[in-house]
Amino acid sequence: MDKTDSIKITLKDVSKHFGAVKALDEINIQFAPGTMTTLLGPSGCGKTTLLRLISGLEIATSGEIWFGGENVTDLSATRRDVGMVFQSYALFPHMTVERNVGYGLGVLKVDPSEITERVQQALKMVNLDGYQKRYPDELSGGQQQRVAVARAMVLKPKVLLFDEPLSNIDSKLRRSMREDIRKLQKSSGITSIYVTHDQAEALAVSDEVIVINEGKIEQQGPPKSLYHLPKTAFVANFIGESNVVDATLEKDGSGKSVIIGDTCIPLPENKKVPADIGPIQISLRPEMVQIKAESSSGTAIEGVISQSAYMGPVIEYSIETKVGNLFTRAPAHHKQYQLNQKVYLHIEPAELIVIPAPA
Amino acid sequence: MLPSSLNNVSAKTDPGETKPLTILIWIIAGFGAYWFLPWFALEYGLFDATIEEYLASLGWKTRTLTLTVPVFLALFIPIAWSNIPQKRLGWVYTLYTSAGIGLIFFDFIHTQNSMGFSAAVVVMALAAIFAIGISKIGFQRGDSFISGAVVFVIFMVLVFIFYPVTKIFYQVLVSRDGSFAPFQFFRIITSFGVDRVVFNTLFLAISVGATTTLFGLIFALYAVRATTRLRYAVRVLYILPIITPPFVVGMSLILLFGRAGLVNDTLMFLFGNSGFFIPAGAEGIFERSGYIYGFTGIFLAQTLSLTPVSYMLLSGMISTVNPSMEEASLTMRASRWLTLRNVTLPLIRPGIANAFLLGMISSAADFGNPLVLGGEYDVLSTEIYFSIAGAQLDFGKASALGLILLFLSLIVFVIQKKWVGQTSYVTVTGIQTAGNVTPLPKGMQRLFTVFISVWLVLVGALYLSIFLGGFVKQWGADYTLTIAHHRELWMHGVSSGGWPSLKNSLGYSFIAAPFTTMIGVLIAYIITRKQFWGRGFIDFGTVLIFAIPGTVIGVAYILAFNTPPVELTGTAIILIITMAIRAMPVGIRGGMSALSQISTSLEEASLLQRAGSLKTIRSVLLPILRPTIISSMAYSFIRSMTTVSAVIFLATAGTNVATTYILSRVESGDTGVAVAYGSVLIFTMLCFTLLVQVFAGRSRIEKQVKTK
Repeated sequence: MDKTDSIKITLKDVSKHFGAVKALDEINIQFAPGTMTTLLGPSGCGKTTLLRLISGLEIATSGEIWFGGENVTDLSATRRDVGMVFQSYALFPHMTVERNVGYGLGVLKVDPSEITERVQQALKMVNLDGYQKRYPDELSGGQQQRVAVARAMVLKPKVLLFDEPLSNIDSKLRRSMREDIRKLQKSSGITSIYVTHDQAEALAVSDEVIVINEGKIEQQGPPKSLYHLPKTAFVANFIGESNVVDATLEKDGSGKSVIIGDTCIPLPENKKVPADIGPIQISLRPEMVQIKAESSSGTAIEGVISQSAYMGPVIEYSIETKVGNLFTRAPAHHKQYQLNQKVYLHIEPAELIVIPAPA
Repeated sequence: MLPSSLNNVSAKTDPGETKPLTILIWIIAGFGAYWFLPWFALEYGLFDATIEEYLASLGWKTRTLTLTVPVFLALFIPIAWSNIPQKRLGWVYTLYTSAGIGLIFFDFIHTQNSMGFSAAVVVMALAAIFAIGISKIGFQRGDSFISGAVVFVIFMVLVFIFYPVTKIFYQVLVSRDGSFAPFQFFRIITSFGVDRVVFNTLFLAISVGATTTLFGLIFALYAVRATTRLRYAVRVLYILPIITPPFVVGMSLILLFGRAGLVNDTLMFLFGNSGFFIPAGAEGIFERSGYIYGFTGIFLAQTLSLTPVSYMLLSGMISTVNPSMEEASLTMRASRWLTLRNVTLPLIRPGIANAFLLGMISSAADFGNPLVLGGEYDVLSTEIYFSIAGAQLDFGKASALGLILLFLSLIVFVIQKKWVGQTSYVTVTGIQTAGNVTPLPKGMQRLFTVFISVWLVLVGALYLSIFLGGFVKQWGADYTLTIAHHRELWMHGVSSGGWPSLKNSLGYSFIAAPFTTMIGVLIAYIITRKQFWGRGFIDFGTVLIFAIPGTVIGVAYILAFNTPPVELTGTAIILIITMAIRAMPVGIRGGMSALSQISTSLEEASLLQRAGSLKTIRSVLLPILRPTIISSMAYSFIRSMTTVSAVIFLATAGTNVATTYILSRVESGDTGVAVAYGSVLIFTMLCFTLLVQVFAGRSRIEKQVKTK
């Protein structure tokens, strides 16, 4: 396995306006060499536009884009040395698999016998050797996508872009496809950017996740830190499941405590919280909330079961509390709670996710 | 897994960049043309000129400004190979070529000479270098191919649409001594009964629009929803107006209903003065009458020939109505009739409006039928023709009427585009469900069956009369079978009879078809795929191409291309260009609908594979568009063969085409010869259409793209 010299991608104050609409507003990002970074966000947030700016298919209104030490801002897509896998695969319907994958090599006037060889190697890489003579419409969706990956990688581009590559593939295949993509990316060492709106996919494939909302970066970091330390309610809600509730941070002797409704939860001393006391938000993930029939301490939130749903291994509960409806789940083989039953929600203070109040 | 040698692949090729060599090729082309081809237009065309005339027309034989052309061209070479930075070089090219083109046009206008082939080639070379220049400055992000295409399209639109149209304005708004006379237009149009002509045109257009829409709707509902066998007959009906020259329906109406037509004859035979059956007291009430001439005839002819067009539009719309909506209505206790009225028809309302407006435009633009059947009923299109064709030769009047007609059809076209074109309820769901269509209510189906049977019998009779008309001695007087008409047309050698005009028609159409398809698809590509400053210009040019009636084109071209600097009247070139412009909507429409079905990601994928735009178009778009291109070419060919309105102004004795020849025979009273020729033309077009449909059947590519 040989790796390319992986390059760093830098975006400096990149904006993209469509008329009066600011699709992207002063974006600054660095993509580390050889990593896979996911752009995650709801549809219309600007993540695909960002990807297209990096590919050169769209040109930034202002700002600079650097591939390593080269300023590519004014280079067109053809000259940027970028490979891309499209959501619709974008395989040429009138060409065989072989001609699809070898298309770029042909453009670069590579010797025909060499093209055959390289196409074969690329197809081997995606386990499709032997499919050379097939047409795209004779392949399954997953196979078409693998051809698209082979085509994107056969030229060994500096940058590999994935635009929601798995959204047209049925959910059972998706898991193995994303593992394959991740494996190929890692072994090739090409700096890659992956756009998706599926947070599970984002957490699974990437070294780094960038959450984008309304043309701005909400948060950037490794999957774990985004899940456990969301900086905004949007990130907490978008990644994983979460109950975001309003709370107050108070001074409590030498330490601090959080007031949720009329429940006071003292925080451990080493927990990082904002310096200023005052209103904050708390993200309660379902797995940190334990339902109990009785309160074992004063730090539980009181509530009433308002809805329950049997999901097989777990039961999902909605619990009406003073701070709103909270959602959690409990293993089905545990005790089951009845509708309108009074329950107590226990939270481990160390696990609390504190989100600073929006400015 | 990947071999290390792949790393070498990232060789820096810059597909968008133009090398100095490209400039050199254009310069050589201009240079060669300058030395060997006539700089000035030859009076009798390139092939009929004597050697002396030829030599005299060469640019370097004259002692004028044209002598500087080679020097001007040669100066490009040091510029191309100099080390000027790309962007500045772009500016140099752009400004230098603009000056050159400007100077050439100025010289021709100033000296009142007409441009010859070499001048055209030099202008083209300069325009190409101009396109390279602006692409280097950054137009189309440095893509010289797309820049060139845009410049070419703009140039075409300027020269062959805008310039002629402004000539009409000029004719109307500038008085004979050259001063600006804004009120001259009113003086011209008040000098005769313009209000009557406009009223006639509008009244006819609205009547025909409404009728063809209603009939088209009946046909469409019947074809899509009826359960009878007859619906298959309706489905092939659309082919008739495509292959029939517009005035032939009018001619056949005369054969049936004219003064000496079959119907009149029969009536006379039965009830006439010496008739077979004369009721007491009703002697002589039946007389031969010319009721078919005038509004009745034009209305009937246009309704017959335009209903299939409206049918096509509406049947397409009805078959995209989601059956589940109708099923929903049926489950809510609504009858089939109520469902049709409350669900189906409202859903296709935009289509109905569209059909009405299109019917109006087509009626107003129709020239052949009013010419043949008009009688006393004047409409704009024929009135324009008679202002120029007859002894009048009144260009002012023709231009004023042309302007009115142009504005009428532009207004209707813009309404159709902006108001109707945008709203479509049918495509909202976007899902084609394979549910069962709701059949027509029983009573309605019976009624429609009767109506359509009558229609088919009438159409059958009309076409039969055209066919038979060519084989009888004198329709109406002597029905002896004869092949004299056909013999006159086809048996007296290839340089007399119908052959010269048929050869011209075939030849011109054969050249025009690929040309117009190429430009049409190029325009469609630019409109659907490219955003740039100045695109509005191309958009507007396209609207004009779609909306401009043929007679207006005819007048405009006579005005524009009869004088220097571009003198083309009397040449075959002007007819080919006219045919190309008239058929261009075919290519544009076909290209646009095909391109809207091709995902842009295919082109993007190609660009990201290092291919330039030229390579992308050649290797990705063109193969996928091939079925569209073939059918557009075939249809353009047929349209060019059957067009009459514009070419009748421009065809001369030497460049007569089939349609103008037929019309001239109609005018001189040789109906037999005219219908004989007409039936041959229709038959040829029918065979050609069937041939194309067999060979350009749905290919694998089309199938795949459509499923995307």
